[in-house]
Amino acid sequence: MKTVLFLAVAVAAQAAGNICLSLGMRHLAAAIGPDPAPWTGLALLALTSPWLWTGAALLATFTLLFTLVLSWTDLSLALPVISVEIVVNVALAGWLLGESVSPLHWLGTVLVAAGVALVVGSARDQTPAQEGQPA
Amino acid sequence: MITLTVGLVATMVVADAASDVLVARAMKQIGEVTSFRPRALLGTLGRMARSPSFAAGIGAAAVHFFTFLALLSFVGLSYVFPATALVYVLATAGARWILKEHVSPRRWAGVCLVCTGMALVSIS
Repeated sequence: MKTVLFLAVAVAAQAAGNICLSLGMRHLAAAIGPDPAPWTGLALLALTSPWLWTGAALLATFTLLFTLVLSWTDLSLALPVISVEIVVNVALAGWLLGESVSPLHWLGTVLVAAGVALVVGSARDQTPAQEGQPA
Repeated sequence: MITLTVGLVATMVVADAASDVLVARAMKQIGEVTSFRPRALLGTLGRMARSPSFAAGIGAAAVHFFTFLALLSFVGLSYVFPATALVYVLATAGARWILKEHVSPRRWAGVCLVCTGMALVSIS
């Protein structure tokens, strides 16, 4: 339960972080306009963007949570499970950012979701040593 | 140029998987985090900072990042991103044979599906 909770929050933080970074970079591009700004001006705009700061903080939260989860869960379980973030991101990109999502993109996300479901189900698979023990 | 590109892609993927495996090994050595009070978390962060495996994992992550940047200077994202999906298979292999985790056939099948799905999302 602890693992599910931590990974769910980590995935949500990563997805939200990516959306914030995407929105921040769009605002930055809009603020710059057609003429490229000098690098110092661009850096200042980036450093004062609340979207970029929020995105960075959310991605840092994701990294911390994922690292903590690895202290008690198998890497072979946690790593594929966090890839479900791509499903959330594709859905959010289509819904919040208005991006067009191709059928191939959706097929990819369905495969990822199916793979994650298999990996989560495998958490109950017995080890060879357990299989030899009486139930 | 093709040899250089393939070499850099291989380096990037191996470094990314190595980073995951090394950080996981460090966290297993540190032990399960059971308290999430700020003081306890700071103690955990201190043990992570002193762990050679964790430092090697961060080093591998840095190699991955800079190889990724180097690749982007002469090949497109559409070429680089699908290759990164291989990390799931490689890191699972590392978990199986280096960390000695039990990876059942069902888990392998799930990892392969995730890898294929991520590659499709990357190229579409």
